[in-house]
Amino acid sequence: MPVIEFDRVSYTYPSGVKALKDVSFTVEKGEIVVLMGENGSGKTTILKHLNGLLKPTSGRLYVDGLDTSKSTVAQLSAKVGLVFQNAENMFFESTVWDEVAFALRNFGFGEDVVRRRVDWALKFFDLNGYASQSPFTLSGGEKKRLAFAIVLAWSPAIIALDEPTIGQDSLQKEKMLHMVKLLNTQGHTILLASHDVEFVAELRPRIILVSSGKITADGPCEEILSDLEILRKCSIVPPQLVLVMDRLRDLGLSRKILDVPEAVKAISEVIGHKHI
Amino acid sequence: MDIVILSILLVVEASAVAAARVMRLWLRTLRGSSYLAALVFIITFLARTLTGADFFDAIGYAIVYTFRLVVFLTSFSLFFLTTTPEEIALTMSKARIPYEYIFAFVSAVRFTPVVADEMRTIMDAQRSRGLELDRGPFTARLRRMIPILIPLLVNVLRRSYELAEAMEVKCFGATKKRTYLKDLNPKTSDYLILAGSVGLFTITIYMRINGYMPFEAITGIRLVSGM
Repeated sequence: MPVIEFDRVSYTYPSGVKALKDVSFTVEKGEIVVLMGENGSGKTTILKHLNGLLKPTSGRLYVDGLDTSKSTVAQLSAKVGLVFQNAENMFFESTVWDEVAFALRNFGFGEDVVRRRVDWALKFFDLNGYASQSPFTLSGGEKKRLAFAIVLAWSPAIIALDEPTIGQDSLQKEKMLHMVKLLNTQGHTILLASHDVEFVAELRPRIILVSSGKITADGPCEEILSDLEILRKCSIVPPQLVLVMDRLRDLGLSRKILDVPEAVKAISEVIGHKHI
Repeated sequence: MDIVILSILLVVEASAVAAARVMRLWLRTLRGSSYLAALVFIITFLARTLTGADFFDAIGYAIVYTFRLVVFLTSFSLFFLTTTPEEIALTMSKARIPYEYIFAFVSAVRFTPVVADEMRTIMDAQRSRGLELDRGPFTARLRRMIPILIPLLVNVLRRSYELAEAMEVKCFGATKKRTYLKDLNPKTSDYLILAGSVGLFTITIYMRINGYMPFEAITGIRLVSGM
């Protein structure tokens, strides 16, 4: 049974903007799915539906068997951890430790569980040195990590990340990549919205392309990111490697190559050198 | 009963709203405030009934008070839907108010929707962390506003520092005398409307001080005792 099921979901904002039009897709447990599309295409709107912040105007959405229209945000949030784009603007507690504990207490965990989970989450994100500091004293990257620690602490089955790489340097992105993969191997289903193609290309997820509230394509990373036609339609710049391989297609090279070692191997085979 | 006066005011304002082509926005404001209007109606009705007024009297008061709210809201929406902050600023500078004060006022008006938007985002984020805003007794709900209000305050303060920096970068206050991109040139009709409004306002104040009831004073008919 799929863990997320969008069944012809449409959503119209109170302002009259039709953000989603007849969106249908399912996500199986343990998948990594990346929503890609230009600004305002409906990625965030889809993510906000997962924990019930937005309810479908028409259609149905089931998350882990729950009909979101009939469930509260708190019920759904226990299953879906949503990390906002600017989650670091939402801190209010006096210490980093309490900031992480806040959600756990809301979800009704006992104090000893709270203590264990907070310590674990802070350690996981390399923040245990800051436990008794004010969250406002952290640097940008640390705040971002704290935002993840907050959600990871209650270990939701589904983790939804909105533009996790925005404003991050390459080292942080690298760490983010490892974190997402690690969480996935631990059994978490991951949905993330991003238009950072290079980041997505390294993650190798299933990609759902969203454009003006509709799903334009849905398939494995290699297929979607090498389909220049459809990427242009959704205003997404293809990964550089795909563009290079496209230019070299007369040599009989495939475009569906997303990492450097693979590309080197394919090219050297064609031109007859063992090493370049 | 001043319901007649209120109706006339509402009709005049509604036609002005229609003329300014902001009907849809105005209707949305009214729809948004319908809860408040219903609340005013119920409270007035109960208050009047409990202090011994009979049923029809109480209903009458409730209708009038609700109507007043609607007219009041319409006046405000009419003003803010048709007047941009720049125009308000220009008017104030014509009245020779120092630009620092004008700027403070205009940015307050301009940033209200921004802050409201931010508040919604923060509420969404905290609800995603399991905060339940609409459950439990009133005092508990009030306490649960803290996770909303602190980030909001922090963000507002941060934004004001950023705004101050941006203003200095753009040479705020570098010259004593400012010029404006647009110039306001009041026409005769503007002065007529202004004179009419001030006139009506003066008459109202005069009648209020002397204890006349508007409708009775005009027509001599006394509709409901004590109104």
